[in-house]
Amino acid sequence: MDTPETPDSELVSRTQAGDARAFDELVVRFSPRLYGLIYNMTASHEDTNDLLQDIFAKAYRSINGFQGKSAFYTWMHTIAVNMTINFLKKRNRRKTMSLDDVDNGILTDPDFIKATSNGDPSHDANLVELQKKLNESMLKLSHEHRAVVTMFDIQGMPHAEIAKILKISEGTVRSRLFYAHRQLQNHLQEFMKH
Amino acid sequence: MESEESISKLLRLKRYEQPRPDYFEDFLAEFQLRQRAEVIHRPFWNIACDRFSSLFAPIPVPRLVTASSFAVAVIAAGVTLQWSGNETADAPAKWNLSSAAQTRLGSAQSAFTKPGKRVSSVQYVLPTRPIGYASAHSF
Repeated sequence: MDTPETPDSELVSRTQAGDARAFDELVVRFSPRLYGLIYNMTASHEDTNDLLQDIFAKAYRSINGFQGKSAFYTWMHTIAVNMTINFLKKRNRRKTMSLDDVDNGILTDPDFIKATSNGDPSHDANLVELQKKLNESMLKLSHEHRAVVTMFDIQGMPHAEIAKILKISEGTVRSRLFYAHRQLQNHLQEFMKH
Repeated sequence: MESEESISKLLRLKRYEQPRPDYFEDFLAEFQLRQRAEVIHRPFWNIACDRFSSLFAPIPVPRLVTASSFAVAVIAAGVTLQWSGNETADAPAKWNLSSAAQTRLGSAQSAFTKPGKRVSSVQYVLPTRPIGYASAHSF
């Protein structure tokens, strides 16, 4: 296996030369981050798993077309966002949320408890409700707005990077964020008071 | 501004939504399995397409050029086949230079004998003896 310091560009070159193991390293490197991106757009672990498989398969098939004009990171994210939006458009689903969509694992996560707890027992008891409401609110956004919110608010990416990935201007990124935040405020008002 | 900050804070909570810890190890294994399965079950046209494009792989030719040259080649092949098909249908069973000369001579002679036929149609008739036997400057 390669050391973590091996640059993406080197792994890409090796993959282009036919070294499949170099691509495995890229899969290991990028899957956690892309998982977060797709999961927060689809709100389903199962769909995320299938999509992530398809995204890496597509990237592997098209890697000879990657000429290094942008960072590999940007290229992978562009494929992931486009494929996820196409998937969501096709499915056009999830008008309502099911309880399966609430991630039960998060409720026992010490970091999550620490981040949300303020010593108020009634507030802690609302964690399930909060998570459900968050997912519902996210799914009420358009696919494009959800992609921007996911990358900026959840993944902490800068505006410029999001603009490159979505091939839009930074101004458009900001305006989509503004609009999405305003929509989310309406849905999450009761939780924002705490 | 404050509510904007609160929204961001709430959304950051979603960072904690992660798959089970061993998920990513299994993911790579599943990816490799799917890749192998895809190679085995790929349709014929897909493999043919890949092989064709791999011919151009060392040359940095844009995909559009590759596709259009492929389309031109297919059309040219189609036209050639069509043309040769017509040619075969129109032509006599066996063709050689003498038979062609005879055919044209015959048609020229019949043009002379037929009343009202324009003489100008004879001017493209092949000579009855090979051109090489005639002197280049004999008039």
